[in-house]
Amino acid sequence: MKRNLIHIKSFAVAFATLGLLASCSSDDNGGDTPTTPEQPTEGRWITVAAAKMGDNPGDGNGGTLIYSLTSEDAKDPTVSIAPFDNGFIVPSNRTARLQSSEDGSTMFNISYAGDTGGNYTKYTVEGGQNFTKTGTEVSIAPYVGTAPRWIKLFDGDKTGSAVYVSTEHQFDDNGTPDDATDDTYLRTEATMGVVTLDLENSAIKNFEESSIPLTAEEEAQGYYISRIDMPTLNAAGDKLYIGARLSKVDPATAESDSDYEILGSKTIVLDYPSLTNPTVITSTVGHGNTNGYRSINAFLYNGSVYQANQSDPNGSHILKIDANNEYDNTYDFNLDDALGVEGAYILAWRPAANGKAVVAYRHNGSEEGISGRGQSFFALVDLNAKTATTITEIPYELDFELFQYQGFVVDGDDIYLTQAPVGKNGNIYVVNTLTGEVTKGAELVNTTGSHFIGAF
Amino acid sequence: MLKIVSVLSLLLSFSAFSQQADNTKKGTVTGTVYFKNGIPVAEATVFTQKPIKHVYTNAKGFFTLPDLPYGNHTIAIKYYGKEIEKVTILVDKKNTKIKHTLSYNEDNELNEVLVSGKTKETEIETQGFAVNVVKTEEASIRNIQTNELLNTTVGVKIRQNGGLGSDVSYSLNGLSGSAVRIFIDGIPSSMYGSSFNLNSIPPSMIKNIEVYKGVVPGHLADDALGGAINIVLHNDAKTNLNASVSYGSFNTLQASVNGLYRFNDTGFTVKTSLFHNYSDNDYKVSGRSVVVTGLGGVQTPITARRFNDAYRSTGGMLQIGYTDVKWADQFFVGVTGSDDYKEVQHGAFMTITPYKDRFLESNALLANLTYQKKDLFTKGLDVTVNGIYGKRNRTVNDTVSWAYSWNGERAIDFRGDEYQYTWRSQQEGGPTLAAINRKVGSIRTGVSYAFNNNHKILANHVYSGIDREDSDELRSVLENTFKGTRDLHKNIFALSYELSAIENKLKTSAFGKLYQQKTVNVDPEIVEDENGNAVVVDEIISSNKKFTGYGFAASYAFSPNFTLLTSAEKAIRLPNETEVFGNDGDNVVANPSINPEQSNNYNLGFRFGALSIKKHKFTIGANLFTRNIKDRIGLPIETSLNIDDELILYVNQGSGTSKGIDAQLNYTFNNNFNLNFNASRFSLNIENNGVEIAVPNTPFFTMNGNIRYSFKNVIQQKSRLNLFYTMYFTDEFSYLPPQGKNTVGDEFFKVPTQLVQDFGLSYAFPNKKLVASFDIKNIFDEPVYDNLSVQKPGRAFYLKLNYSIHKF
Repeated sequence: MKRNLIHIKSFAVAFATLGLLASCSSDDNGGDTPTTPEQPTEGRWITVAAAKMGDNPGDGNGGTLIYSLTSEDAKDPTVSIAPFDNGFIVPSNRTARLQSSEDGSTMFNISYAGDTGGNYTKYTVEGGQNFTKTGTEVSIAPYVGTAPRWIKLFDGDKTGSAVYVSTEHQFDDNGTPDDATDDTYLRTEATMGVVTLDLENSAIKNFEESSIPLTAEEEAQGYYISRIDMPTLNAAGDKLYIGARLSKVDPATAESDSDYEILGSKTIVLDYPSLTNPTVITSTVGHGNTNGYRSINAFLYNGSVYQANQSDPNGSHILKIDANNEYDNTYDFNLDDALGVEGAYILAWRPAANGKAVVAYRHNGSEEGISGRGQSFFALVDLNAKTATTITEIPYELDFELFQYQGFVVDGDDIYLTQAPVGKNGNIYVVNTLTGEVTKGAELVNTTGSHFIGAF
Repeated sequence: MLKIVSVLSLLLSFSAFSQQADNTKKGTVTGTVYFKNGIPVAEATVFTQKPIKHVYTNAKGFFTLPDLPYGNHTIAIKYYGKEIEKVTILVDKKNTKIKHTLSYNEDNELNEVLVSGKTKETEIETQGFAVNVVKTEEASIRNIQTNELLNTTVGVKIRQNGGLGSDVSYSLNGLSGSAVRIFIDGIPSSMYGSSFNLNSIPPSMIKNIEVYKGVVPGHLADDALGGAINIVLHNDAKTNLNASVSYGSFNTLQASVNGLYRFNDTGFTVKTSLFHNYSDNDYKVSGRSVVVTGLGGVQTPITARRFNDAYRSTGGMLQIGYTDVKWADQFFVGVTGSDDYKEVQHGAFMTITPYKDRFLESNALLANLTYQKKDLFTKGLDVTVNGIYGKRNRTVNDTVSWAYSWNGERAIDFRGDEYQYTWRSQQEGGPTLAAINRKVGSIRTGVSYAFNNNHKILANHVYSGIDREDSDELRSVLENTFKGTRDLHKNIFALSYELSAIENKLKTSAFGKLYQQKTVNVDPEIVEDENGNAVVVDEIISSNKKFTGYGFAASYAFSPNFTLLTSAEKAIRLPNETEVFGNDGDNVVANPSINPEQSNNYNLGFRFGALSIKKHKFTIGANLFTRNIKDRIGLPIETSLNIDDELILYVNQGSGTSKGIDAQLNYTFNNNFNLNFNASRFSLNIENNGVEIAVPNTPFFTMNGNIRYSFKNVIQQKSRLNLFYTMYFTDEFSYLPPQGKNTVGDEFFKVPTQLVQDFGLSYAFPNKKLVASFDIKNIFDEPVYDNLSVQKPGRAFYLKLNYSIHKF
């Protein structure tokens, strides 16, 4: 039988313990960044997300299951949970992209693909497999399709945003529509749709469509924005940053190119909440994409937005966009240098309010495990000192990979994460970002070919 | 002289008329059995009681009964589902030859068809293959689609994405998609395209449908990994005319005319078939995605009529030639033409954004050739040639950018304004007028030689070739120019050896197949010539691969009532053009070294019956099967390395296993009550990187049943009324693989248990030329789904009139 982990008593103990931990940790504070410990939220729920195997080990296409436990239980290595046996299956045909409220009491989901793709649902977290659906039905599919790329903005759990881009190659037929020999490729038009969703009232807030051109020179070479994702609000709350991936065609044939020069990382900046007036900014520090994959890729810290990039030929960077809505090209934080590896690739990351972050990464030396993806690691990163250290207290093995990893819980200075190799049991780990202390938490019972994709 | 003796049932039968004779002397009786119309009877049981002997007639109606003591013998002849006929002969020499003509025909008269239905098994079903022969005669009179008929066949599951004309997927014992090959008279149906297929061809054009599960005989040569469905069109050479028209719910009109005229003096024959199908498919749907959205995106669930789902198909075949002449049993040249139009209401799923004015059109115009001759040049040498050559085209039209709602009207956005999709088309991906033009050619040749009644060797060859060219009017000439062309040529050779031994009780067939596939990809590229000028050259990549497969089928009749059947094949499926060459649109690149999928398929079954007890008659049969698939072709898992690349290619990965059982029962009482029931259950697992998992989204358990009751002389003398009841049961299945024991939220992914019941009646007027049929489909108006949340039509009524003349 399944264990019922919800007891009034455990709440009380949880509060006490958390309070104690927080006060103790302040003594260990001693780096170059003077920070005072943040208080954890009392009685916070930790929701663990698990992705079941579909066809291939690690593909996560066989259903996304969630299961909650108290933060006290999450930190207790004697507790064991089995979301694959006892969890709630999130209604999404393919791996769900989950978000949670900052206090962990609500889970937000937008169904990915299938008949309900684009449907927004929210659930009140009540422990274990109990998630109570609240709010009315609303879908963002009419605006951004049935496989939407969405995340929650950091505005107090009020707004979610999803994006879509469609592209069309444009040609000059030289006045001879039937003769291809004198046709020339002009540019590729990329049209962006951005929708904002009222998470509280389950309603569409705004939708705007706009063209997102690159420079004339870039366009003439065949570059265009082919995928966008990860909207993030700036500190003033008046601009939305959207990460972008570039592709390129050969202007001579209009066929997709490969092995081309990777341009400086780009971000679309547009007015918020009007979602109009887009411009594209380019980094000279980092190259490659800024659209991330499934987990939030850019965060606000200390008045600036810090953004990870991927597929950077020099290894992932964390880039900085300042309050003036331009890249700060004096900020050069390269993971390869910081970690001493080659081809570091940030799979997911999350900073705490103190400027220290946990980064999930792989690198060129990562060997492929059962899922065919490179072995992954966690590192503790300092955004101010631009340092990164692999967290050695977490066990790593060949089949441990974080490609689909989505969720970290930030609770005060603590960052909760899930660790389990594909098809093998693992644990929740809690990293105190201030002290670097790593606590092994509840056991995660796994099932064949499946993995865990984070804590919320 | 031959004489037909009185008829008794099989078990009670046989009072021996043999008399005391010289036991030391024995003779052999050889003979040939014919139907009333002179056609040889294959697979009739011929037996004597004293001594007990039984043998079967071969395809030419020939049998041998050796070692009969001299004296009088009664030889009984039994044909499936028919009464026994007896012949008394005197054996007084070494070889006695007889000829016997039965009092009935294989091809029943109209009224007989209604009685005998599908109870008649044929020669094919006892060769050892796991095969079902689906008779279409009854369906052609009723309001039944060919696909519905196939769906009631054991081990076959049809999954359709809507009403008439919608996408269909066929599954044979759990293997589906490109593992199942469909043929029309032995020619791969992919040659004809979607305008001439099981959706459009009326049952009245079809003689029967052979469904081979797992093991496919040499004469159906294609890379059929999981089995083959062969549609055999009418091929008799008797003058006849048949016309029918059906009308019913959802403004569904179906009409067909088939005729054949033979000039008896010259053998000159003209044959034609025409069909026309139309349906609005505007049936009612409801459910979680059938909503109307208002201000702010607020959703109101509605019951909607589908509004962009109409289907029309029109086509026909005209053949002229000679039948039953000295140099040919059949020689025809002709033309096949078809054209269809299908609106598309939604994609793979019913979402909240139904499509408006997205449609597909396809047409085919093909020349055809048929030649058949038995005993060409020498006795025992049979030759068959079928060929087609022509063009088929397909276009996809999706240019409307405005959003529509399930009420059929323009949808409004959260502000209350009508709006256009960002992607400017109904289906995400952008407007399209994509056209695919293909030149197709296929020729099938079969030569068989029977050394004697026991040994036969068959050689078959099928060539099929497709030249494909793509274009899209909405794309620039430059883009269209640089789109590649693909040619695909397949040659499949099969050599079979058939042996029948032990007085035709043992039948075996062993075959080997050689598959050759040549694919050529021509991709225009710009290169610099000697003078530094950019010139367009064709980059040609080709792949030419050969593979072999083999198998056998065997059957042994322990008694006239009990036959054991077994078959096995090492089957392969060749990689298709996308798997070999990739697809620019999906960022998939070529993998010319990809291997075919392989499967070791095994069947073991039996057939018991027909067992007659007084007026009751039973037949039961069952088949156990396994399919062991290797080198499944698929796309590799997404990783951080390939997520942005154009380097994804199809690879051989993992294996799979399907295991299960098919069983069927047929019961007839007094020739006017008939019950058919079948059930199929299997498990399907796949294995990747050593991890095994059950394949989701597959109905593992299905049952079908039908009952018919026939009355004579209702209202009018010599008329016949038939009542029909059909039920289809599909067990619950899930879109997700099996979950843990205690999870919640599973029901979202479930396709619920379904029981669909149809009722029908047909009335044959006394003149036997006119038959009227009335059918109610889905009488209890159950919501029906073959695929998660894609609702199929509810209750529907159809009326049909058939007129046929067999003799002029």
